[in-house]
Amino acid sequence: MTYFVFFLGFSFVLGGLGMASNPSPYYGVVGLVVASVTGCGWLLSLGVSFMSLVLFMVYLGGMLVVFVYSVSLAADPFPEAWDDWRVVGYSLGFVVVLVVGVVVGGFVEGWKLGVETVDGGGMFSVRLDFSGVAMFYSCGVGMFLVAGWGLLLTLFVVLEVVRGLSRGAIRAV
Amino acid sequence: MSLLHLSFYSAFTLSGLGLAFHRTHLISALLCLESMMLSMYLALSIWPIKNQATSFTLTPVLMLAFSACEAGAGLAMLVASTRTHGSDHLHNLNLLQC
Repeated sequence: MTYFVFFLGFSFVLGGLGMASNPSPYYGVVGLVVASVTGCGWLLSLGVSFMSLVLFMVYLGGMLVVFVYSVSLAADPFPEAWDDWRVVGYSLGFVVVLVVGVVVGGFVEGWKLGVETVDGGGMFSVRLDFSGVAMFYSCGVGMFLVAGWGLLLTLFVVLEVVRGLSRGAIRAV
Repeated sequence: MSLLHLSFYSAFTLSGLGLAFHRTHLISALLCLESMMLSMYLALSIWPIKNQATSFTLTPVLMLAFSACEAGAGLAMLVASTRTHGSDHLHNLNLLQC
């Protein structure tokens, strides 16, 4: 679980980086949505699920929706994504700032502290829901395979039932 | 400082730099402000986890309420600048020239 939380923290910084390099606002909002979704996942993993839900509802569902439709005021004829050379220059500069921060803060060896959740901590801390669902791969592998096979079968069942032109089972529509 | 503290601290710094090195659009600068508010919300939410004090969890919700007000005011300024200048390009806001 610790590596998953580190991955969420790293994705949070990546979303902020992709937005701070100031591409066209259509793409900047993508970076902000990625950052807020991974931030919510991070708060969930640490145990404060209500703060995560408040962030989802108020921030993503309220404020970002308003921002997304206000982005229509900023229409560019040629929008710059992250492959434009001007945006790449800014993002490389911000990556240099990040590397300086990691090196000066002493994190090249200092990542071994782990995460701290609401009821434990350390490098090998696992919460109740993470450790339970991970049993899909250890004790519950039989039911895991049965569920996957059932889902694949259902896909073909649905495709056959709605096939209407010549060989379908339901013909009214 | 643990690695997760570095995560939201650097996201705040990067968004502040993105606000300072703004390029074309006013709304990109407002998005950088929103990202600073998001990293501050995460920092304030992680603080009661470290201290195991439940009464500190109302601080991030309060901050979110005020940041919603600030976002609304910023978007109102965006609409005002589009009405007067025709677009939200920042090089159009050049009345205060030295």
